[in-house]
Amino acid sequence: MDILNALMQGFATAISPANLLWALVGCALGTAVGVLPGIGPAVAVAMLLPITAKVDITASMIFFAGIYYGAMYGGSTTSILLNTPGETASMVTAMEGNKMAKSGRAGAALATAAIGSFVAGTIATIIVTLFAPFVAEFAVKLGPPEYFLLMVLAFTTVSAVLGQSTVRGLTALFLGLGVGCVGLDQISGQGRYTGGIPELLDGIEIVLVAVGLFAVAEVLYAALYEGKVVESQNRMSKVFMTRRDWKRSIPAWLRGTALGTPFGCIPAGGTEIPTFLSYAMEKKLAKDEDKKEFGTTGAIEGVAGPEAANNATVTAALIPLLTLGIPTSNTTAILLGAFQNYGIQPGPQLFTTSAALVWALIASLYIGNVMLLILNLPLVGLWVKLLKIPKPQLYAGILIFATVGAYGMRQSAFDLYLLYGIGVLGVLMRRFDFPTAPVVVGMILGPLAEAQMRNALSIGEGKWTVFLDRPMSLVLLLVVLAVLVLPRVAKMISSRRRAAAS
Amino acid sequence: MTQQTSSSWLQTLVGAGIVLIGLGLGAGAVGIPSEAGYGGVGPNFLPWVVSVALTLCGAWIVWEARTGGFRELDPALDAQRGDWPAFVWVSAGLLANAALITTIGFILGCTLCYVLAVQGLRRASGQPSAGSPRAWAIDAFTGVAISAPVFWMFTQFLAINLPGLTSTGWL
Repeated sequence: MDILNALMQGFATAISPANLLWALVGCALGTAVGVLPGIGPAVAVAMLLPITAKVDITASMIFFAGIYYGAMYGGSTTSILLNTPGETASMVTAMEGNKMAKSGRAGAALATAAIGSFVAGTIATIIVTLFAPFVAEFAVKLGPPEYFLLMVLAFTTVSAVLGQSTVRGLTALFLGLGVGCVGLDQISGQGRYTGGIPELLDGIEIVLVAVGLFAVAEVLYAALYEGKVVESQNRMSKVFMTRRDWKRSIPAWLRGTALGTPFGCIPAGGTEIPTFLSYAMEKKLAKDEDKKEFGTTGAIEGVAGPEAANNATVTAALIPLLTLGIPTSNTTAILLGAFQNYGIQPGPQLFTTSAALVWALIASLYIGNVMLLILNLPLVGLWVKLLKIPKPQLYAGILIFATVGAYGMRQSAFDLYLLYGIGVLGVLMRRFDFPTAPVVVGMILGPLAEAQMRNALSIGEGKWTVFLDRPMSLVLLLVVLAVLVLPRVAKMISSRRRAAAS
Repeated sequence: MTQQTSSSWLQTLVGAGIVLIGLGLGAGAVGIPSEAGYGGVGPNFLPWVVSVALTLCGAWIVWEARTGGFRELDPALDAQRGDWPAFVWVSAGLLANAALITTIGFILGCTLCYVLAVQGLRRASGQPSAGSPRAWAIDAFTGVAISAPVFWMFTQFLAINLPGLTSTGWL
C-alpha cells in the first residue's frame, strides 16, 4: 500500500504541466535520436547535461529518462527501414525487421516493435515499481566490500565479456579508470594527475569524454571511412497488424519481457545478450510455416521478441541504477553523472532521502510509455522523414550540438580542443576495434569503486581477506570469476569439439 | 603482403602508445602520496594499478600485433582506406571553432565549423558540386539556421552561458 501511495504522489508531481512537457520533449527528442544514425541516447543526454545547472532535478531527470527510453522506440524504426541499425540494441531487430520490410511488411514490423516496446516497457516499469523499494531495503544491508565487488562485476561484464577481444576491452576499461583518477581523490582530498592546472582539480567532465568519443569521433569516422557507403531505404507500408500477426506477437512480447527484465536488473550490462537470446528462443519455438519465414521473408516473432526484450532490459536497468547506484550501460552511466551534478548519489538511501524525485521519475515512465506509443504508431511517418536528411548535413549539424554540450558545461574554449583530441582518440579506438562503453563506465564508476574498496579495506583493518570473510562478498567474487572464466572454457570446449569433428 | 605488414606496424604502434600511456600514468603516480590511514592503501593505489594494467595490456597488444595481428578483428576494418582530405576538413572546422568561438561568438563559430565539416563530408561522399559557390552559400545559410536557434534556446530559455559576438544575448 505504501508503494501505491508513493506512486500516486509520484504521478501528482509528474503530471504537472511543466513536467509533462519535459517528458513529451524528452520522448520526442529520444525518438528522433533513436531514428537518426550517428547519435545515440548516451550522447544526447551527455550533450544536454549542462542544463543540470539551471533546470530543477525532477524535471531534468524526467526529461533525460524520456530521451533514454524514447531512443529505444526510435531505434527500431531505423533498423527496420534502413539497412544499418541505429544502435547496437536494434541489431537483432534489424535481422528480421529488414527482411519483413523487404517483403512489403514494414508497417507490421513497425507496429509490433512499437506495441511490443510499450508492453515490455510497461511491464518492466511495474516490476521497477514493485521491486526497486525492496532491492533498496536489501541494499542498505550491503557493506563496502559487497558494493565494491558489485562494481567489479559491472566492470568485468562491460569490458571483458561483451566485446570481441578481452585485452582491448580491458585496455578501454583501464583508460576510463585512468581518466577517472584525474582530480581530487574522494577520500583524502589529494589532487591526482592535475599537472598544476586548476581546471583539472574538478576532474575531466563526463560530457567531454562521452560527446568526444560518441559524437565527434562518429563524425570524424564517417568523413574518414564511410563517405561512400550508400544506404538503401525500404518502402513504408501501412502500419497495421493482422489477427495472425497479433496472435504471433503477443506471446513473443511476453517471452521477450520475461527474458529482458532479469538481465536489466543484474549489473551485467548491455542489451545484446537478452535480445540475441530472445531471437534464438523465438526461432526455436516457431513451427512449420512461421519457422520458414525466419531469414527469408522475415518472421514477426523475430522483431516482437527482441524489441520487447530490449525495452524490458533498458527499463529494468533503472533498478540497479536507482537502488545501488551502479550503471550497467553507457546511458545509465551518464544518467548517474546527471544525478552527481545535483550532488545526489543514487543508492539505497535514494528511496528515503529523495523519495519524491524517485517516484515522480517512475511515474513518468508510465506516462512516457503511453506518449511514445502515440508518437511511434500514428506519427511514425513523421520520424521516417528524418531518414531523408542527407548525411553530410546531419553529421555536421551534430557538431553544433556537441559544441553546446562541451562548452556549456564549463565555458572554456580549452575544452573544445580537448573534445577534438578525445574525438581523434575515439576514431583510433573504432578503427582498431576497441569498445568505447568501458571507458565511460570506468570513468564514472571508477572513483566510486575506489572509495568503496578503500572503505572496505579500512573495515578489514587493511586486510584483503575482508572480501572473503563475508558470505555475500565471497559469492559475488565467485560470480565475477565465473563470468570471466566460464565463457572462455565454453569456447575452448566447443573449438576442441569442432577440431575433433573435423 | 605489404598491406599486412603496414597494418601490423600500425597495430604495434597502437600497442606501444598504450604502453607509453601506462608508463606515463606510472610516472605521475610517483608524485601522489601514499598515506594509507586505516585502509592500508592510499590515494596512489588505483593510479598504480591502472598504470601497471595499461602497460601490461599494451605489451599484450604489441605481442598480438607482432604475432599475426590483433585477434578477433573484423578484416573489413583493416581493409578500409581513409579519406584523409575529408578528415582534415572536419578537423579544421572543429579546431577553428575552438580557436574563434570566444572572439566571433557561438553562432558564427558554429556556422564556420558546420560549413567546413559539411565540405569534408560532401567531398567524402563524392559530391561533384561540393566546392561550388552555391553549395557554400547553402551550407552557410543552413549553418546559421541551425546554430542561431540553438544559441537562443540555450541562452534565453535555459540560461546557459554561451559566448556571443555582442553582449545582447541574441548574436
